[in-house]
Amino acid sequence: MFKHLFKLIWNKKKQNFLLMTEMLVSFLVLFAVFTLMMYYYDNYKKPMGLEYENVWVINYGNSYQTKNTDSLNLYYETLRKTIKSLPHVREISFVSGNTPFSQQINNGGMTYKGKHIDHINNYTAEDSYKDVLNLTLLEGRWFNKEDAVSKNRPVIIDNNLKEVTFGKESAVGKLLGGDDDKNKMRVVGVIQAVKKDGNYANPGPGEYFRTDTGSFRWLSKILVKVDPGSDAAFEGKLYKTMANYMKNSNVEIEHLTNKLRSTNYFALVPMIVLGIVSTFLVINVALGLFGVLWYNINKRKGEIGLRRAIGATGNSVSAQLVSESMILATLALIVGAFFAVQFPLLNVFDLRAEIYIEGMLLSILFVYLLVLICSLYPGKQAAAIYPAVALHEE
Amino acid sequence: MLKNYFKIAIAVLKRRKFFTFISLFGISFTLTILMVLTAFIDKIINDNYPDKKRDRMLYINRIAQVGDGTMQSGTVSYYFLSHYTGMMKTPVKVGISSMFSGTNTYVNNKKISVSYKYTNADFWDVLDHDFTEGKPFNKQQVSNADRVAVISEDMKKQYFGDAPSVVGKYFEADNVNYRVIGVVKNVPITNYMMYSDIYLPYTVSKADYKDKSYSGAYMAFLLAATPGDVPKMQAEYENLIKRVPVERKDFKHVYSHANTFFRSYVDTGNEKQSGVVIVVTAISIFVFIFTLLPTLNLVNINITRIMERSSEIGVRKAFGASSKTLVYQFIVENLILTLLGGVIGVVLSVAALSVINNADLISNLELRINFSVLFIGMLVCLVFGFISGVYPAWRMSKLNVVTALKAQ
Repeated sequence: MFKHLFKLIWNKKKQNFLLMTEMLVSFLVLFAVFTLMMYYYDNYKKPMGLEYENVWVINYGNSYQTKNTDSLNLYYETLRKTIKSLPHVREISFVSGNTPFSQQINNGGMTYKGKHIDHINNYTAEDSYKDVLNLTLLEGRWFNKEDAVSKNRPVIIDNNLKEVTFGKESAVGKLLGGDDDKNKMRVVGVIQAVKKDGNYANPGPGEYFRTDTGSFRWLSKILVKVDPGSDAAFEGKLYKTMANYMKNSNVEIEHLTNKLRSTNYFALVPMIVLGIVSTFLVINVALGLFGVLWYNINKRKGEIGLRRAIGATGNSVSAQLVSESMILATLALIVGAFFAVQFPLLNVFDLRAEIYIEGMLLSILFVYLLVLICSLYPGKQAAAIYPAVALHEE
Repeated sequence: MLKNYFKIAIAVLKRRKFFTFISLFGISFTLTILMVLTAFIDKIINDNYPDKKRDRMLYINRIAQVGDGTMQSGTVSYYFLSHYTGMMKTPVKVGISSMFSGTNTYVNNKKISVSYKYTNADFWDVLDHDFTEGKPFNKQQVSNADRVAVISEDMKKQYFGDAPSVVGKYFEADNVNYRVIGVVKNVPITNYMMYSDIYLPYTVSKADYKDKSYSGAYMAFLLAATPGDVPKMQAEYENLIKRVPVERKDFKHVYSHANTFFRSYVDTGNEKQSGVVIVVTAISIFVFIFTLLPTLNLVNINITRIMERSSEIGVRKAFGASSKTLVYQFIVENLILTLLGGVIGVVLSVAALSVINNADLISNLELRINFSVLFIGMLVCLVFGFISGVYPAWRMSKLNVVTALKAQ
């Protein structure tokens, strides 16, 4: 049966070649779109790692200039007390510029036991940081006052960095640092990775450092956890407090919820545009396939009539036509899969192999479905051909 | 002859309405997408509000210092720009402004986000903002550090509501009261180098603009006397930068360029990777794949259509028509079909653009079809029609007279 179908296809190779090319290109386009979708979905499923509701960010930029560390610390500790004494403020924390959902990045790399790890997000955070964002502690503890005097510099890592460096073993107490680093850092805790770039971005590996005495020189943001329902009136008051205290700085207050929305927007808009474009491409291709298959079947009326006359049932005729199209699709998909499989094999774009495979399976399924739908109606029409009429035309 | 072909083409189109629909759908839709894309690119590259003298301008928006394994790259300090561009002879004027940054202001317990920009007085001469009222601040006001502001129409509406005139009124931002002296037409945020809600003299900046380090928050617009002077101005800046010492010992080179608008717009912040190459490659790949599928589809449909007419071809061949004439006829027919699809595509694009404009995805971004967009669209359409016409026509011309006639 299959041999026979292949022969039929081979006999019309020129015409089928074009159809197959079309299926192949559609597959490749769909593969790209589905892979991207699976990548976003995969990230979306991962836990956020932090609570962003009712957290505000105060950007204060350039401000207090002094060479004296003590007076610098006094200046900011007074500011901290002032803000904390406001009603509705639950907890505050001074942080480095790369707060969640900001476009700022602070990246570093290191070589650990011969393995190079790139794009590690470096955060500098205070003891109160964990409570402000309600981070999930998986192992060990967050920073506390004892860390100021510890021999090795304490560091907290997220589970992504832990996995690449220590694998399944527990990380707490281990020493971390590049191979040629003399001053290694001691891991005191492991937290759930934070999706810093929004719901759809991969939470990269990250490490957290504790602020020290000189940190205030370059810290430029404050995270403030406020009571639910704090309104613009209160925000105005907080703003005035900040602006009056820091006469030399430009102050801006942002809400993490709004920042998350705009960050997600940057991921979603290209996705939506791609989605719309590929939907229309698919409709286009479907119409084309449908037209060509329909025409082909009409042209083969004589052949079909003859088959019906010698006893083939309507169903077997339509099954033959549908399976012919499916074999065409299979041939195109084999070629397509050959190209697609190079992506996980060569590790292009650094995505997990499963994502490519899911994308591939989805697009294969989709192409099959498309071809099936497009050939069903022409197949049904062929089944309805009366042998007498068809043969008479001949 | 052409008239005859035209008549035949229309008759054929009417006969198989379903196929005609598929072809027209494919062509018009593809064209719509390409038109929206070109309208968007055109808006970003060619819309020259407020820098109307683009052909005489160069932009400096980055300085990078590179050493072994270290690199620092970003916008430039006011000191660096004013000091070094001050040594240049070719520019007639140098506008300097900071990149926009954000702050809030609170009116009647309502929060308004404001982006602000510090500029020098020449900024207003180099760029041509349309003032709906008032005027820009001058050199005197800048050196006095007067607290004056030029605001955008958008900001006027948000802050003052429907007040007819706001010049002379006070605007509070960052806990400072600024006197409004001018209102300008909005700049869309896609033009990130010039976008802002309020413009203030750099001398009122709270950050220390006298700071002598190289990196800061500023960029510069250099204006040459004539378009012919632009290459000279560019070379002068390049030579100047070669002589600039590095700031710290661990750096080896200082890089900074005075670029044309497009180059500086797509600057990647990386000295080795030109943004132009990346953007052009990405767009070409998208356009290629995107036009490939409909073209293949069209070729498929066209083959089917033409083979259906094998009897007609047979008869015409039997009466002595050469293959060339037939190929010519079918290409013309196909071009007519594509042009028809093109016209529908233009109508669809106008609709799509008005939907996009109304949705206000990016505030103040007005996309419209202009003649260059239309021209590109039509060109794409013709190439499209030609490609999808040639192969089927060639296949058809190979058809043997006898087989073609026998098929009937």
